[in-house]
Amino acid sequence: MIKIKELTKIYKLTKKQMMEKKTKKNMMKAVDNLSLRAKSGEIYGLLGPNGAGKTTALRCTATLLKPTNGEISVMGYDTVKDSEDVRKRIGFLTNEIKLDPQFSPKYMFSFFGRLHGLDDKTIEERREKLFDYFGIKDFEDKKIDELSSGMKQKASIAVSLVHNPEVIIFDEPTNGLDIVTARSVTDYLRLLRDEGKTVIISTHIMTEAEKLCDRIGIIINGVLVMEGTLSEILEETKTKDLEDAFFELYKKHSKEEE
Amino acid sequence: MEGTKNIIKKELTRVFTDKKLVISLFILPGVLIMVMYSIMGGLISDLEKDIEAHIPSVYIQNAPENLETTIDALDYIADITYLNLADSTDYIKDGILKGDVDLLVVFDEEFTGTIQSYKEIGDPIPEIRTFYNPSEDYSNAARNNFTATVLYTYQQSLLAERLGNIEQLQVFYIDRDPDAGVIVDESKASGKFLAMLLPFLINIMLFQGAMGLGMDSITGEKERGTLASMLLSPIKRSEIVFGKLVSLGILTSISAVIYTISVVIGIQRLGGGSMGMMTSIKFTPLQIVQLFVMLIVLVYLYVAMVALVAVYARTQKEAGTYVTPLYILVMLGSIMTMFSSGGDKAIQYYAIPIYNGSIAMQDLLVGELSMLNFGVTVGTLALIALLITTLITKAFNSERVMFNA
Repeated sequence: MIKIKELTKIYKLTKKQMMEKKTKKNMMKAVDNLSLRAKSGEIYGLLGPNGAGKTTALRCTATLLKPTNGEISVMGYDTVKDSEDVRKRIGFLTNEIKLDPQFSPKYMFSFFGRLHGLDDKTIEERREKLFDYFGIKDFEDKKIDELSSGMKQKASIAVSLVHNPEVIIFDEPTNGLDIVTARSVTDYLRLLRDEGKTVIISTHIMTEAEKLCDRIGIIINGVLVMEGTLSEILEETKTKDLEDAFFELYKKHSKEEE
Repeated sequence: MEGTKNIIKKELTRVFTDKKLVISLFILPGVLIMVMYSIMGGLISDLEKDIEAHIPSVYIQNAPENLETTIDALDYIADITYLNLADSTDYIKDGILKGDVDLLVVFDEEFTGTIQSYKEIGDPIPEIRTFYNPSEDYSNAARNNFTATVLYTYQQSLLAERLGNIEQLQVFYIDRDPDAGVIVDESKASGKFLAMLLPFLINIMLFQGAMGLGMDSITGEKERGTLASMLLSPIKRSEIVFGKLVSLGILTSISAVIYTISVVIGIQRLGGGSMGMMTSIKFTPLQIVQLFVMLIVLVYLYVAMVALVAVYARTQKEAGTYVTPLYILVMLGSIMTMFSSGGDKAIQYYAIPIYNGSIAMQDLLVGELSMLNFGVTVGTLALIALLITTLITKAFNSERVMFNA
């Protein structure tokens, strides 16, 4: 279970960042008063354009960033006060966090397993299961540097799940993957949900969110503008599919912002 | 500490399973240092041989009649041209300036007559003037050799003629067997020479090793996004920092040992004979412990200094820029021992970080490091290292530093 209560995250910008963003403000609100709940046994999808604040919200949940305001709890543990307890229970995946290219997926899996306090037997069992599912065995001893982006992503997913976490936080997990690899990833997320795990993902792929997520939160300019099941969102926005609903909300909230 | 242990193991595996890294960090610098000194040694030796083989071109003006006989009797080889007093020497001086001629020796007018008419103190004494070019190796050697071999012998023969028996000039001897009178502590004497050189070399080698490894291990990992994956594991940030620093310390020590051995072998080839001196130094068990403790603390400090810079830098290029002033600081702190002898320093000098490491090592090599000075040195260095470690841990906890957030 993930509970995000009134999360606000403000970044202080350097002069260089201010120039890049063409702004005179030295503060940027990436997430604005965001509240949501992702329950056990469901896949929650955070949907939004680039720069909407999805990654920031997920990074705060994964303890990598501290909220400026608000609270986040994961399985009852506060992400600021009990960050180590939270990290024990989450599997986090994002494109910006990578595995050491000099090592093999097998070595990295064992290394992170040991960092999570697992014994060799458990690591072996987990590796057998995950490497078999994602088809990593064929390249498990190759250096990560020598792998294709799809293979790297599969290895990263397997490593993030080494400790069989109760909460899975994946930031755009199918980004840049071919259709076959993407399918294996989404299928595994369904499997994890069916095991009763809490899964939260961010995506900007509408069809993926439609098919995969039990509930969807639409985030625009750091604000959660709508939340619900697919049918609830379609009903609320009076649209036929998620893409139309998203654009409806995007137009409305972009105007409000202006 | 299980997390620290795992990180140390991973860091060491990362380096030792990468052939390119092993070659570029350990083997290549070691070989290059040896090759560099060997080439330098070879060049110096060739130069000496060349000077030795060179037959100097010497012009002697107004040479006394018996000088030629003296030269013939000596084992002195030179291309000698004798000039009359009236001959011009301008073209010879021009030749010396250009390096074509090595030496011009001019005897005063009435040289022999003046010597022979000498009766008592106050009577005129003739002069022999030598013209040479100190910037030319051949000319310099020709002048030294001619003065020491020819003129000294010639002077002795003239004195013998004047006094009848030159032995009468000898009132007493000083050390007919100079070696028999030498009372020296071989270890201390050797230590004194090495004490000037080794602290500098050790400091530089340690810092260079830390620089090469630290920037890749921290800034490199930050840049590649691999450090963040470690930050997601359920271990304390201080465990990650400590794991990184200890592994870097181990690797830096290995590289420093390799570099130092290469330098010592290189210097030996250069002709310094330091290896012989090294073996003549004898340490007491206490001194060995002191040296070991000091090196451990120094390695940790240098690794921490580099790591602090590396953690704040966004790119390895940026880290390289930031670390340069620190490198200069370490060089400055350690180069001072090359211009001073060990011991006799006020206690406050042993509280100046980096410099204290060098002077304490210098004192240790000459056997003059007191326990108090050792304690102050190690204490100060350890304190600074701990302070830096705390700062690094803080930086690891800072989202702005780690994620540019």
